[in-house]
Amino acid sequence: MPEFGDHVDPAIFEQILEMDEDETRDFSQPLVFNFFEQTQETFAKMDRALAKQDLKELSALGHFLKGSSATLGFTKIRDSCQVIQQYGNELNMDGTREPSQDVCLKKITEAIKTAKHDTADLEKMMNKFFKNSEQ
Amino acid sequence: MLEDPSYNSVVRWSADGDSFVVLENEKFTKTILPKHFKHSNFASFVRQLNKYDFHKVRHNEESGESPYGRDAWEFRHPEFRADRKDNLDNIRRKAPAPRKPPPAEDAFPASQQIMVLSESLSASQHQIQALQEQYYELEKTNRLLVAEVLGLQKMVRAQSQATNELITHLSNMEDRRRNSRHSAQSSHSNHSGTNFHARTLGFLPDGADEPAPELRRAREILNGVSPDSQADRELERLSMAYNQNGSPADSAGSSVMFTQANATPMPLVHDPLNDPRHMVYPVGQTTGIDPFHADHIHNIPYSRPLSNPSAVAEAPSQITPPPKEHVESLWRGKKPLILLVEDDRTCARIGIKFLTSMDCSVETARDGLEAVDKINTDCDRYDLIFMDIIMPNLDGVSATAMIRVVTPQIPIVAMTSNIRQEDIQTYFQFGMNDVLAKPFTKDGMLRILRKHLTRMLKDPQSTAGLIVDDLGQNVAAGGPGPPASSQGYAAAPPPGIAMGNMAGSIMAGGAPPQVKFEPTPIQSPSTASSWHSPGQIPGTSPTLEGGGYMSAVGSGPGGVVLTPGGTQRPPPPPPPPPTSQQQQQQQQYANYMAAAQAQAQAQAQAQAQAQAANPALARLPEGMGALGGDDRPEKRQRLYGPGPGQGAYAQ
Repeated sequence: MPEFGDHVDPAIFEQILEMDEDETRDFSQPLVFNFFEQTQETFAKMDRALAKQDLKELSALGHFLKGSSATLGFTKIRDSCQVIQQYGNELNMDGTREPSQDVCLKKITEAIKTAKHDTADLEKMMNKFFKNSEQ
Repeated sequence: MLEDPSYNSVVRWSADGDSFVVLENEKFTKTILPKHFKHSNFASFVRQLNKYDFHKVRHNEESGESPYGRDAWEFRHPEFRADRKDNLDNIRRKAPAPRKPPPAEDAFPASQQIMVLSESLSASQHQIQALQEQYYELEKTNRLLVAEVLGLQKMVRAQSQATNELITHLSNMEDRRRNSRHSAQSSHSNHSGTNFHARTLGFLPDGADEPAPELRRAREILNGVSPDSQADRELERLSMAYNQNGSPADSAGSSVMFTQANATPMPLVHDPLNDPRHMVYPVGQTTGIDPFHADHIHNIPYSRPLSNPSAVAEAPSQITPPPKEHVESLWRGKKPLILLVEDDRTCARIGIKFLTSMDCSVETARDGLEAVDKINTDCDRYDLIFMDIIMPNLDGVSATAMIRVVTPQIPIVAMTSNIRQEDIQTYFQFGMNDVLAKPFTKDGMLRILRKHLTRMLKDPQSTAGLIVDDLGQNVAAGGPGPPASSQGYAAAPPPGIAMGNMAGSIMAGGAPPQVKFEPTPIQSPSTASSWHSPGQIPGTSPTLEGGGYMSAVGSGPGGVVLTPGGTQRPPPPPPPPPTSQQQQQQQQYANYMAAAQAQAQAQAQAQAQAQAANPALARLPEGMGALGGDDRPEKRQRLYGPGPGQGAYAQ
């Protein structure tokens, strides 16, 4: 198992890799790359929703990305998405209500930034990983 | 080697350094020869020495007593001296020319050889026996440990179940309190009215009514403690393996996880040493036995669980059976066709891949609407539906409710990360049969398939017991521990969940006076309706839900019962705000609470018992075989009515 640090839950990701057949990465590689495409689309939507201060939409987008990142075991992205989803619902992380929309927007802005950053890091690692496994 | 002090008692230089002495023939043969000469034959060692012109030193032939003891063998070579290492090169193998071995000298090593051989044979037999005993000892302790761990696991499960119930109970109280407050507010102030609406119709359950943070945190902690399910499974496999060596009765008992620890994996009493089967290497037998010959390997007192006969060849390594093998032989005839309803491409692809690898055919739908369309086109097409909950256009719960109108039978499994008890209750109420927690795993999916498509399995018998186990695991895995405690759960229970640990005394002591079962007990009307997107299900009315509840209270099982499924069909008038009447209901409801709860437990208990008693039941979805296999909560509710119906089921 390659080293992705705390970016990736090895058990979950390993499970995906196990679905590959014959020593190739025919399943996992396009899956992961598609995920990154999907992530970029979602980030773009998030940015638009953020500009409109549309918390509901942000929450939905956060939930959406949370699902796929969790299924791939990409824990860091998943955690940021959880933050986006929570504050999109005007809730703090512990589930208590967050009365200030400004706080919510601020937290979401931060979380999106973190998520983008983590995604970029992870994408690099994944590129490298799949490149290595081609050899 | 001669200078090694650790060998000193076995072989060493003689006192004056011009010869060496083998003091303990047997030890030398057993330990030193194999190490330095790659064989363990003293006679051939002697022969080699002779070839290199070493000669045995014979001491006072008359007394037969050498200075090093009776069994010592002393060897000398003119050039072999402790202080003359440089002479070693002069020690050469004798040219074969001389070839004048005196027959007397040859005869001696020959008889010696046989003796030595038989000695070493019996020595190794002793060794093997010792190893065997050790092995059985280890095996025994290992079993005990596995049993112990399983017992502890069960206790932990029971504990967390109990805790969950407490939490559910508390959050029910909390909910009711909050709701009465809400309704009070909304009737007074316009602002909070809208607020209430927004929350009522909240698309995302996470955003909807949140219980008190303490409760939430407690639940999160509970859900967070997910034991390593892999290890779990291996443990269970181990215990199964052990059980199968024990009496069948034992294994039957322990495969039902709900029986208490005393009935669990304790078939340890059978003593392998007294079991002739295991005496693979009887001492005294002189024919050589290769302990690694396949015959013996297969006699090793482990056996695989029956579920995977194809892997018997790998019995010794059963700890890690390749998952693929499981799958290839999973289905009897036709492959199951699975409908995977999932809006997220990544999840869908992974789901498809997992299911395909389990030899299923898969079709997908991107949202609830598409799923409903597919079912409407051909309602008998699919064998099982995996349903995402939060999707655009039409959410999974609403879609399920619509699908239930057409086909009550098909198993629908929620795939979601919202696995709070309340959520899960909602899923069950609206006709879902099970929950697969997200992020889903292949094993999780396999478990669901085995559980709900048992009739299509190649070997349903052997999995029937497993199903119950798996369920227990489900709970332990921090996954959707089915909300055994709640009344709603009693109305729509997943099969025999672990209420069993709570003594059967509830049943035995006679069911408390039947109150009633209603479809939407836990959720306040507002939370119940939070699942419907306002656009799609215009008329889902909290009041209607309340009405259902009311009529259930008022008219009992014979009365007209409005159900979630029912409320979906015709678009009823828009939801009126909660009224004071509802508050009354809440009040009433609170009065019924305690009795109903006890009842619910009895119900779950009864189910667990029924399943334990009749494993065949476990194979039917929802364990509802006795009731005609109808899964619809509304039907079940009627069937669960007071009096004989329930009693009959408990039998």
